[in-house]
Amino acid sequence: MRRVGRFLLALLRELGDENAYRRHLAAHGKTHSGEEWRRFSDHRLQKKYANAKCC
Amino acid sequence: MKILGYLLWGLVACGAGIGLGGIALHRGEHINSLWLVVASACSYAFAYRFYAKFIAAKVMVLNDQRATPAERLRNGHDFEPTNKWIVFGHHFAAIAGPGPLVGPVLAAQFGYLPGTLWIIIGGCLGGAVQDFVILFASMRRDGKSLGQMAKEEIGKVGGLIAPVTVLMIMVILLAVVGLVVVNALKGSPWGTFTIAATMPIAVLMGLYLRFWRPGKVLECSALGFVLVMASIFAGRWVAESASLAPVFTLTAMTLALAIILYGFLASALPVWLLLAPRDYLSTFVKLGVVLMLAVGILFVRPELQLPPFTRFVDGTGPIFAGKIFPFCFITIACGAISGFHSLISSGTTPKMIAKETHAAPVGYGSMLLESFVAIMAMIAACVLQPGVYFAVNSPEGVVGAVPAAAVATISSWGFPVTTADMATLAQSVGETTLFSRTGGAPSLALGMAHIFARSGGGQAVIGFWYHFAIMFEALFILTIIDAGTRVGRFMLQDLLGHVVPSLGRTSWMPGVIATSAAVVGAWGYFLVQGVRDPLGGINSLWPLFGISNQLLASIALCVATTILLKMHGAKFMWITCAPLVWLVSATFTAAWQKIFSPLPAIGFLAQAEKLEAVLRAGTAANVADTQTLIFNARLDAAICGLLMVLVAMILLDSLRIWVGILRGGERQVHEAPFVLSRLQAEEL
Repeated sequence: MRRVGRFLLALLRELGDENAYRRHLAAHGKTHSGEEWRRFSDHRLQKKYANAKCC
Repeated sequence: MKILGYLLWGLVACGAGIGLGGIALHRGEHINSLWLVVASACSYAFAYRFYAKFIAAKVMVLNDQRATPAERLRNGHDFEPTNKWIVFGHHFAAIAGPGPLVGPVLAAQFGYLPGTLWIIIGGCLGGAVQDFVILFASMRRDGKSLGQMAKEEIGKVGGLIAPVTVLMIMVILLAVVGLVVVNALKGSPWGTFTIAATMPIAVLMGLYLRFWRPGKVLECSALGFVLVMASIFAGRWVAESASLAPVFTLTAMTLALAIILYGFLASALPVWLLLAPRDYLSTFVKLGVVLMLAVGILFVRPELQLPPFTRFVDGTGPIFAGKIFPFCFITIACGAISGFHSLISSGTTPKMIAKETHAAPVGYGSMLLESFVAIMAMIAACVLQPGVYFAVNSPEGVVGAVPAAAVATISSWGFPVTTADMATLAQSVGETTLFSRTGGAPSLALGMAHIFARSGGGQAVIGFWYHFAIMFEALFILTIIDAGTRVGRFMLQDLLGHVVPSLGRTSWMPGVIATSAAVVGAWGYFLVQGVRDPLGGINSLWPLFGISNQLLASIALCVATTILLKMHGAKFMWITCAPLVWLVSATFTAAWQKIFSPLPAIGFLAQAEKLEAVLRAGTAANVADTQTLIFNARLDAAICGLLMVLVAMILLDSLRIWVGILRGGERQVHEAPFVLSRLQAEEL
């Protein structure tokens, strides 16, 4: 049950880009801040919405 | 242990066989929905265990020693090795849209059997294979897109045609899903208020995430979900308020114009403000509702009220005209095979796959789950009384605008329904009427509400569940509309940038406004056309969308077949060639009939001729409107023809390549070179 819960939370974090943000902070040796989130989010969303959503 | 395995898979095979046989041969009394669940679940399990594994091992020769692009090109953004079940969830969330929900509901006019068999068989042998092979091909080519692979493997023609087809599909897709929302919300103050409320809620979420709690997406989405739930409750209060109800009771044309204006604004506004927060919310709600529906069906085990076949197998259906072949196979696209999936399989997903063998559960498995969603939609539609189903889905142009005339027509088809039944049902879900709510969304919402209410709460909560289902459908349809408009704008800017460089700059506001207006204008035109269509619009727009989507699938299967031919010669080309042959037969027949059928209910040109005859006879109620309808019918015929020509060009180009390879010509595979994987299991 705990494993399922952990998986669901990880999936939601992935879908919500929270995991990607953590990876971004780790990869660039940065710490979380509002400015850093906005920079990451702008880059991520620009790429994300360059592709069509499926029907 | 091995004997236990044989026994288990023997049982699964028996379950699939008995389930499929049961639903195919059952006549007379109503069948329980569990038959569909067992038949589909066992078929999917069997297909995955044997067919997907065969393709993975013998055809693709997947090798976990080979580093994937996610490992080789790792950059912390799009290229990132990810846990396979997370990629599975990610991919499923990306491919699951309104298509697998709406298509089966519309195809239920033939009865439950044709659509169900097509969803199961088409899903296992067509859709899942297409998604899997394209994902594999893209993964072996550094995550290249379908267009890039078409250019490399087939030639420049393929590379040029694929994006043009995508742009055309998007214009039609956005119009048709817009029409689904319009038909679900027209004359419904409760539904309109709830959907209108999602916009300020999304803006609030955007500001929350940007400035107040940066990075807290889950927290922000939970807040958004609570507010959306509150708006559903508030919607009932609005609908019962004498002063507010008229404000939110809108006609179809007003709603269409509102959606067009919304699409324009959402395309031009910063993405973080409206689109992204609502997309996060809609993704979470979508996954939650799919899970709820599966649990609800297993818990309630409703009986299907629609027969296996209806009289409309003869092509005289009120929802859309045309016989089972080819129209069932283009009406249900996303639940069985969808060309759009190939864009996702060659988009984000191949850049996240950590090990090559993960491509099987992600590519093949996700499509099977999507196919199961389509089965659930079919069940939700078929639990309605047939008379109610046809009263909700038949346009006024077919059954009449007056309720008494509509029930008389529908009852004369052998599906008894009364005005009192419809009035009671409408009242129970908080609507003034449910007649002619075409598009599939309202009848799906009724079916879902029926299942959810029977799971707990009964008739007292059916109105809430109906509007919850409408909110769920409209929420992600609107996300598709604004994301699609934005993508269309990018594509157009990219194209126009070659002629006027400043138009290609995504930061140049006049260019953004002009191209957004052009894209919105294109799909908005078709949306208005659908609203003005006396047959409800779905009759002409949904087949057009189905044809274009299946033609894109044909392009994807051409690319896939070319790659398999280059890898193994003719040995395994049947894997993608068989679904390709079927798809080309069904789609080209459908397109041909939509253009040239002498029946005005089917053929666009016959429709235009019939209207011209009315004009000539001087009996047209409104000359200008009739002239517009004639123009629209010819425009639809031209688009259908253009799509056929474009795809025929790719087919011929592919055939030329295939014949060359089979005659011993060059068969260069454009795969990235082998690099040994150093990724450890614990890294995932």
